[in-house]
Amino acid sequence: MKLRRTPRRSHPETIVALIDVVFFLLVFFMLIGRMDATAPFMVIPPIASTASPMPGGGATVSVGAAGDLALNGTEVDADALREGMADLLAATPALLVRINAHQDAELRRILPLVAQIEGMGARDVVLVVTPRAP
Amino acid sequence: MRIKRSNAQPAQISLVSMIDVLMILLIFFMITSTYLDLGMIPMAEQRDDPPPQGSAAATGGTLLIRLGPDGIARVHGQSQTPESLTALFTARLSTGPGQVMVLPSGGASAQALVSVLDTATRAGVQNLRILRLEAAP
Repeated sequence: MKLRRTPRRSHPETIVALIDVVFFLLVFFMLIGRMDATAPFMVIPPIASTASPMPGGGATVSVGAAGDLALNGTEVDADALREGMADLLAATPALLVRINAHQDAELRRILPLVAQIEGMGARDVVLVVTPRAP
Repeated sequence: MRIKRSNAQPAQISLVSMIDVLMILLIFFMITSTYLDLGMIPMAEQRDDPPPQGSAAATGGTLLIRLGPDGIARVHGQSQTPESLTALFTARLSTGPGQVMVLPSGGASAQALVSVLDTATRAGVQNLRILRLEAAP
């Protein structure tokens, strides 16, 4: 007598594990990614070995190598920057202002800007640098 | 005669669309995330209790560093390397806390200033100031 095996039905692959993995990855990238407005022009910060860790938040003023200005990722001229900073400081007096200047930017573009922002009442103005081991 | 309805099976919600959305969100966050390791150097910090004027100068003296447009630091007109600057700072700190002032040229680069500040901070200078010449209105 010949026994015939009944054809096995293939089990459908469960996709619950895939959803779990994708979800974990999604949460991971959402948590570690910091949404910062990047400058519309090339900015390579100066390198420093004694930098402090930079907290998040605050306003970012970018200064390009040729003196281009940007406030929170939007290219602006000096007048618009002054108005924008005044509005931001009026809304948040304890605003941290980050000067993200290109390493080749001339100090005549940066130092007056720092003085101007400080004169508007900013309490904390920091220069963004790239940390490097000493 | 009573007709019995057959028990309708509950409709199954397809998970495929949810997976699609999750994948799109995942790819979005993977692409838009930038992993920049950035630090900061304080440029202006307003304190409620400003340090008394002249106290640092009285104890250890003030060292004035000029930063030229070529990015070279000069003390008393003599060009300094990072090593000689460190030696100067160490010698100055041995007599007291002192104060270091940096007078940069407008044509010097941000990297040149940061390098001088870096050297001073590494040598242990606590009282560091950046001077800026301003034209009278």
